Amino acid sequence: MKYSLFVRIALALGILLSLGLLPSMAQDCDGEVIELEFMNWWGAAREALMDTLIGHFQEENPCIRVINQVQPWDNRAELLATAAASSNPPGIIMSTRPETYQFAINGLIIPIDAFVETHGTDLSVFYDGEIGLQYWNGELYGLPMPTAGGLTGLMIYNKNLLRDAGFDPEDPPETWQELEDMAAAITVADPMGIDVLGAAAFGTDSEFVAWLYTNNGKYVTEDGRTLLFNSPEGLETLEWMVNLTNNVNHGTLNITDFFQDTAFAQGDHPWYEDKQAFLHINTSFFGHFNVNDPEGYADTESWGTMLRPYNGDNPDAHSAGTTGYNYSGAWAYTIPAVHPPEKQEAAFKFAEFIGAHPLGGCAFLFAQSRPSPVKECNENPEYYNVNPYWSVVLEGLALDTPVQITPVQGQLAEILSNNIAEAYHGVKSPADALNDAHAEMQELLDEFWAEFDVDNM
Amino acid sequence: MQASQKTLRTQHETTWKLRMQEWWFRNRALIGFAFIFPWFAGFIIFDLLPFMYNLYLSFTDYQIGTRGIPPWIGLENYIEIFTDDKLFGKSMYNTVYYLGFSVPLRLIFAFLIALILNLRVRGMELYRTLFYVPSVVPLVAATVIFAGFLNTRYGFLNQFLVLIGATPVRWLSSPDAIKPSLILLSLWGFGGQMIIFLAGLQSIPEDLYEAAAIDGGTGWQRLIYITVPLMTPTIFFNLLLGLIGGFQIFEQVFILIGTNGGPLQAGLVYMLHVYNKAFRDFEFGYSAALSVILFLIIFVLTILLVYTSNRWVFYGDSQDDET
Repeated sequence: MKYSLFVRIALALGILLSLGLLPSMAQDCDGEVIELEFMNWWGAAREALMDTLIGHFQEENPCIRVINQVQPWDNRAELLATAAASSNPPGIIMSTRPETYQFAINGLIIPIDAFVETHGTDLSVFYDGEIGLQYWNGELYGLPMPTAGGLTGLMIYNKNLLRDAGFDPEDPPETWQELEDMAAAITVADPMGIDVLGAAAFGTDSEFVAWLYTNNGKYVTEDGRTLLFNSPEGLETLEWMVNLTNNVNHGTLNITDFFQDTAFAQGDHPWYEDKQAFLHINTSFFGHFNVNDPEGYADTESWGTMLRPYNGDNPDAHSAGTTGYNYSGAWAYTIPAVHPPEKQEAAFKFAEFIGAHPLGGCAFLFAQSRPSPVKECNENPEYYNVNPYWSVVLEGLALDTPVQITPVQGQLAEILSNNIAEAYHGVKSPADALNDAHAEMQELLDEFWAEFDVDNM
Repeated sequence: MQASQKTLRTQHETTWKLRMQEWWFRNRALIGFAFIFPWFAGFIIFDLLPFMYNLYLSFTDYQIGTRGIPPWIGLENYIEIFTDDKLFGKSMYNTVYYLGFSVPLRLIFAFLIALILNLRVRGMELYRTLFYVPSVVPLVAATVIFAGFLNTRYGFLNQFLVLIGATPVRWLSSPDAIKPSLILLSLWGFGGQMIIFLAGLQSIPEDLYEAAAIDGGTGWQRLIYITVPLMTPTIFFNLLLGLIGGFQIFEQVFILIGTNGGPLQAGLVYMLHVYNKAFRDFEFGYSAALSVILFLIIFVLTILLVYTSNRWVFYGDSQDDET
């Protein structure tokens, strides 16, 4: 009797387990189902969208089951590093360009050129500037999604604040000087800090580099070996940024406080309260704006999009953006080296789908009104309906310049950031800050290349 | 017949009992070890072995992705730390600054509150609970709450300062105010130390105070000549734990000002530097060396404190007992 009961319970459990597991397995899979853990940072707000993408992928690939592992943004570097370095990493990892390079030189991920050849993947569907960022030492390590472009060249502005300050809202500033004049007229400060901010030219290394390119400056040579940012253009850029911060925004502390505890993606950013006139943000802005304030997003009388202003005093300068420099830019989907070939193959199929498939990356980015690294996707005329400033976005993408970086970019960026901060706080002059940063960074870069050259002789 | 059988049984039982007692006596150490074995095994597996491995890694160039045996580089990591690492000195200075203020302030604050909560007044249990509650709040939640308090424009502290006509403080944006903000935050979790002080206060014999009162001792004199000396073992214990915990401060800073340590890295504490080296620069061997140095500093300080404690910690009148 006891055994009979045991058998019945076991049978019932078996049925329950089967019911629970079978639907998640593909119905038409003849062979073994490959489970692919997909470690990504798309956030909870876009989890459902990603699940839809995964659903489409699994319909086409019934023997691959993708597990959507959305990770929190906090502790991202730690999570990623430990996952990638572990003996059991996820099946496919969403990583930034510096991380991809770092993993590549340490052999943690595999180059995908062989898969590209076997599968006949057409890489020409991507913009050259986008796919080009995913190569390290001549080998391709990932397929891009979303765009690395559109990260720094575009700005949005609040038409109401311009109107209230007596400016034509349909004529946004084109030069630094115009931006500064408008910002000075709009900014409102009191003893507690800034209440309404015109514009900020403040931040870390990436903000400096973004402004540097609008002054016809360069961060590094094309081979990535010589740093160039302490040029006269670089000095002029940093001096302008520091002056704007001190003269218009009443100092560094005000700007730091103004953005304290706010995040654009979470909807508590001053922008949503009509407290900021000009804002630089990447193309994810459109999706976040639409989610956090759909009415505001639909009201194009209240906001506009413009190109990042350039130095009007420099005849060679023009509006520009950079691709591949920003730490949080140039995302790709990389494949850990420790997995068996069939799992790596499955990961590549998913990377291909998420990168270039019309129901993959194309649809995913379209739903967020932001551009794709695939040319054809961006030619969808429907974009003009979902994004009122689509033509400006395309114009901005066309002005982007790729920046070469190395696996030591994280350390270089930290040195530059710290020196720039010292210039803002008046500890160093802008010239000293840039020269000190350059000396320290070039030494580190030279060390890296020396080691790299020895390893690759 | 029956009587002899009973006698035999009694003898047998007595012999068995004696044997058991003898076995117990002989093996009492073994039994003691059996009881502490779970802790001891945990110590070996989760503390000693990782520590030894960390020590080993500190002599290697272990970076992310290093497969197999990481390359042995001897003292290179240590040499670089002491000769070429600007952030080593900066982070150590920030940590010592934090310790120098937070540890004594927290001790004094916890001791004073414990003194008040040791009074015999109605509803004291409620007050004790209320004062202890902040210590139960998870550190992350407390830090997030504090971030709101310290917000320049909307924070409670600045609103209060403005209300009384004072100048608002840039708690988290000014390099000069970051460390004081962290020290302020450290006072939040004083409840743990307070409870230990309270337990210590309640163990002081009442007759000592009665005797002092008969001799005309004032409240202040009773505090200085009875309470404080008898509390020195507790003060020593809290001081030691406070120092060790203070050197390891990490989560609060990480949440409040981020991994870079805030403006001009004024809040870059030592553990944040260790973290950055490991998880941002992926130099695990170097990071291991940094943590070994921290261990040595804490170890030496602890030894020094224990050594000097004989001069100021009062462990009871043991000499009187012996006579």
